[in-house]
Amino acid sequence: MARVKLPSILAREAGGQREFETDAATLADALAALPIADLIFDGTGGLRRLVNVYVDGRDARTDLDVPLAQDAEVTVVAAVAGGATSPSSGCS
Amino acid sequence: MAREVFVGTRKGLFFIRDGELSGPELTGWTIFHAIRDPRDGALYVASNNWVYGGVVHRSTDDGKTWERSEKIEVEGHDMGEVWHVEPGHESEPSTLFLGAAPGLLLRSDDSGTTWSAVDGLVSHPTRERWEAGAGGMCCHSVQIDPGSPQRMLAGISAAGAFRTADGGETWTAVNSNVAADFLPEKYPEVGQCVHKLLLHPAKPERLWQQNHCGVYRSDDFGDTWERLDGNGLPSSFGFPIMLDRSDPDVAYVIPEEGAENRVTSNGRLGVYRTTDAGASWQLFSDGLPEPAWTVVLREASSFDDRGPVFGTQSGSVWALDGASWQELARELPPVLSVEVT
Repeated sequence: MARVKLPSILAREAGGQREFETDAATLADALAALPIADLIFDGTGGLRRLVNVYVDGRDARTDLDVPLAQDAEVTVVAAVAGGATSPSSGCS
Repeated sequence: MAREVFVGTRKGLFFIRDGELSGPELTGWTIFHAIRDPRDGALYVASNNWVYGGVVHRSTDDGKTWERSEKIEVEGHDMGEVWHVEPGHESEPSTLFLGAAPGLLLRSDDSGTTWSAVDGLVSHPTRERWEAGAGGMCCHSVQIDPGSPQRMLAGISAAGAFRTADGGETWTAVNSNVAADFLPEKYPEVGQCVHKLLLHPAKPERLWQQNHCGVYRSDDFGDTWERLDGNGLPSSFGFPIMLDRSDPDVAYVIPEEGAENRVTSNGRLGVYRTTDAGASWQLFSDGLPEPAWTVVLREASSFDDRGPVFGTQSGSVWALDGASWQELARELPPVLSVEVT
């Protein structure tokens, strides 16, 4: 089974589970089956702008249809953005 | 009865229960608003994350565990932050409203699990004349007449105040005599930058708003507005407004220097109170720090039977205790929202 690892915020939103096993045929299917899929996909079916995904260490953000090997390790990572906040967040 | 203050911050949700601070919960989320539904006791939180977007969290066990709404989307709009959760009328126990950006009002009829656009407002014929304020085009104020679920108000920055009398099917702009000094036309039908809009719970035809361009009161549910900021306030500009449940003539505001210098006026944390429906205002800041240069955001104030409560961008939470203010918490992350029950 391939494995999908989540960062801590997403793990909490998934009920505290940090890692998921999957027999999905593709990366897209594996991600769509996660209980936090709503948080990583945008309204068009692509990943949200600051969500990155790696398969065995390789950037797969723009290659979601890639087949998943049985022993693949998928890592979901928030893009490094330095803790910046949206200019509007909580703003006046 | 125990008093609870829900403090939404840039770094999670804090609770102050009978003076005892706890939290943070929902770490990693920026909490634009958190409120307890008085009908069933559930907690609802408008949570935003700069990577994962906006969601509504719900807890039925006082914040020990949380569930998340289904994905919030509105066709034709790129969903922005979620700003404000308003429990619906007591006759509609599963209904809630959600203010969001850009200029979105949503409704849930399943206790916050799914949300759908209130099309009568979201697709209002004046929408093309709405603009985004500095905080985005946020729908931040949702007020429901306790006497009727059909009668509601919404405040959107910078679109103005809107009213429905048919449960949200149709909406009317109610901005008469409310200034928009930043527009070529100073008193347009829409485009006003309402910063916070409240109705008085015991006298719901009486509305108050702190606007980008003044403080206003309406005694006819928004048909007409009277400007109130020339009589004792150091500035017409500010964000929060707080009321007194037992006296509809009392209100509190916290003026800022102005739109170009958004910090509390005159180098102090100055709360100003009116006891005559806005005819005059007096500084009412016993216990508050001076000098101080801080900010109180539009959602960072509330009130209950015991009086007003507010929080600052400097991480303090203040509550009125008799005639003076007491600091309930300090050194929190920047406070974005305060609710009290």
